[in-house]
Amino acid sequence: MIGEPWAKESKQYAVLRSNALNFASAELAPVADDLENTVDSPLLWKAVERAGEMGMLAALVPEQLGGEGVDLYSLCVALEESAVECAGFAAALLFHNAALLSMGYVERKDLVEEFTKGRPLCTVATAGEVSLGEGRLQGRAPFVFNVLEGTVALLFASSGDGRTAAYVRTGTEGVETHIDPYPLGWRVSNFATLEMKGAEPVYVLDKSGKEALEATERTLYLGLAAIANGIVRKSFQKAYDYARQRYQAGKIIIEHQAMRLMLARMLCAMEEGRAIIRRACGIEELGPAVIAWRGAVANSYGAHRDAVQIHGGYGYMRDYGMERLMRDAKYCQMFPRPEEEQLLRLLDMAERGA
Amino acid sequence: MIGQELSETGKRLFRDFPILRMLWESGRKRGIRETIDIVEKAEEFNRTFAVPRALELDMRMEREPEYFDWEIMREACKYRFLSIFIPKQLGGIAGEFMVTNTSLLMDELCSGCSGIALAVGAHSLGVAPVITSGAMAHWDTVLKEIVEGELKRQPVTMAYAITEPSAGTDVEEPEYLERAKLSLEAKKVKGGYVLNGRKCFISDGSEAKYFTVCAALDRNRPLQTWTTFLVERDMEGFSTPRVELKMGQRASHAAELLFEDVFVPDSHVLGYEGDGMGNGILMIMAASRGPVGSIATGIARGALQHFLAWARTKRNGKRPIDEDRIRMNLADMWGMVQENRGLYMNNAMLGDAIFGKALDNPIMNLTLGLPSSLRTMSLMRNFLNSYYGKAMINAVLRYYLRDEDMTQLLETASLAKFSCADNAMELCSRALNLMGPEDSEERRWVEKCYRDAKLTQIYEGTNQLNRLVVNNIRFEETLRVEVPRPFKKGVMA
Repeated sequence: MIGEPWAKESKQYAVLRSNALNFASAELAPVADDLENTVDSPLLWKAVERAGEMGMLAALVPEQLGGEGVDLYSLCVALEESAVECAGFAAALLFHNAALLSMGYVERKDLVEEFTKGRPLCTVATAGEVSLGEGRLQGRAPFVFNVLEGTVALLFASSGDGRTAAYVRTGTEGVETHIDPYPLGWRVSNFATLEMKGAEPVYVLDKSGKEALEATERTLYLGLAAIANGIVRKSFQKAYDYARQRYQAGKIIIEHQAMRLMLARMLCAMEEGRAIIRRACGIEELGPAVIAWRGAVANSYGAHRDAVQIHGGYGYMRDYGMERLMRDAKYCQMFPRPEEEQLLRLLDMAERGA
Repeated sequence: MIGQELSETGKRLFRDFPILRMLWESGRKRGIRETIDIVEKAEEFNRTFAVPRALELDMRMEREPEYFDWEIMREACKYRFLSIFIPKQLGGIAGEFMVTNTSLLMDELCSGCSGIALAVGAHSLGVAPVITSGAMAHWDTVLKEIVEGELKRQPVTMAYAITEPSAGTDVEEPEYLERAKLSLEAKKVKGGYVLNGRKCFISDGSEAKYFTVCAALDRNRPLQTWTTFLVERDMEGFSTPRVELKMGQRASHAAELLFEDVFVPDSHVLGYEGDGMGNGILMIMAASRGPVGSIATGIARGALQHFLAWARTKRNGKRPIDEDRIRMNLADMWGMVQENRGLYMNNAMLGDAIFGKALDNPIMNLTLGLPSSLRTMSLMRNFLNSYYGKAMINAVLRYYLRDEDMTQLLETASLAKFSCADNAMELCSRALNLMGPEDSEERRWVEKCYRDAKLTQIYEGTNQLNRLVVNNIRFEETLRVEVPRPFKKGVMA
């Protein structure tokens, strides 16, 4: 079938991909629009429960701590397939898994057990400025998803020893939550700024913090790349189907060279996306993950923009399912850091040989 | 010298658009004063009305897509934006540089909120065919009603209906119209026409009182039978059953129009039967694509303003603008805005050169010079609506709206449309990438601009169609296409 990868995966990943796609088709596709319109809906928690049954809520946590202990590429496969139907849900899963990953490093089985119950999900805050001093957190962390009462957020804070990671729980003393009522994309869960006013962390990663932080960041970059690739696939599917039906200038639009070029570029984007994600998952370093993210999200931007264009006026209207892809894809490009800042950091890392 | 005579807005316009300064210096002060006046009004409209409510209204219209804020149109009445295309003899404010003024108005309004701006601007798109088709029989009725409503702050609005469910881009160009799959059809009956079918994505469609509607009399011969009708909302069988939830530019509705045996009298044909792609109506395409370029430019400029405000604000002790890379990006963005302005002004100035002559002709001046009581006499109205009356006006319009001018106007319009739209998308996207995961009002604004900008790549013919239109340019006359042969024969064998 057109859109299937040319490069075949091993049976293990092919089965995983198939299961994840079945999950997305059965659990996410029918409710994706409703999930977008109501945060914290029962539909979301039903889908989260099913994701939990499939091992998608603690995918990267070692088995001895109660997780699935799968590799990062497996999580990326699951996220990509979920994103084909609902990128917002995939993003929610990604943040939850990235937050739990660090708990694996500190071997806190009790925390993992608590946070894999499914509601509320955990989350990660990468932006803003939070500091940790005398056991208390101060500062602001913007652009945080999955926020509900009792959400546990992993914050990257500055401290006397450099950067460290701390978990904080919303709804507790010293943690103020400012919900953004109107985010551009990923509208499945609440989107908020967390303000720390002397909040006491649930847990602080100390010695293993640096390693855990890098692993979390790497997971975020590759997970976002996978979500972006899922959006490319959906864009291609919808645009290809539409182009074979819509008539314009005396022929169906897929016969127009301009449309064929757009679709061909989407095919390239899908194949490139899969290749760079796969490659970066095999390298236990942050640099390749950043490069994969950059390539995948840039491809995704071009693909969804063209897919909306192929749909013409229909692409711009909510009822036809294209505009959500465009909004969700943009957040894959804006998160977890501004692109240029990340590029400069990438060169710094390369110079240090990191 | 200039500094003493001009307001701050005038100085800004002269700085940003040197062509306006050149016209001023060349003695066209009256016309340029009108231009400055329009932009000043737009600035005030944005400052006092549009900007304070834009984000909230945008959010509300996502929850309640059928809601329409009539205060937009009432406020537009205050500034007389609804009659920017209506001749002064009829009480309107059409200036010496009507197309330029419209383009600058849309640029300015869209820098505040392109949804609100579209609600205002789409009305003028509906008015334009009544003017450019020379349908003078309706000037003293429909256009007068708009002007009188405007003065009383009881808005009477129009919409232009061309897009059909199965034909969007196809109905925008004569070449494609010939092969379009149409759903709306008009059948000739005694005393008029009966319309059946649908139009979709019609801006201001659910609010307008009057519609200029294009329809084929024979769907198998759309180009030869394409006709423009003036349809009134209260005509039996007409309804607007659906309003779309758009990704952006939400303050203006995109509505579906349903025609179920709608009888339209002969008198409501604008121009001739089958003349719907004649120069009078084709002028609308040319006159509307250029302003889409200015809409895109306004959106881009709005995004740039918010991005600049973000860049100047201290975060974590630092201002982004103090970094070279941010300043370089700002320079690129400003370059995009200025490039856009050059393109849409080329089109607008050419539009005024052609359109100004066509409207300022002896026949129309003579007719408009008559007292209103004479013009509205049934004898006069019947003459203007008769074959001979229309033939007279058509002959005048054809004299001024020459084919080669129309081709050039369409080329400049299409070039402005797709270039400005692409630049606007690129600017908004880049601004968001630079801001990243940022909690700020500026980010919310730029996100809105990003959603709004996408529509400019789609409406008034997709950017792909407009690129093809630009290819109508006679390259061999414009460019030197001879390939020089620097080597002697045989060297490059």
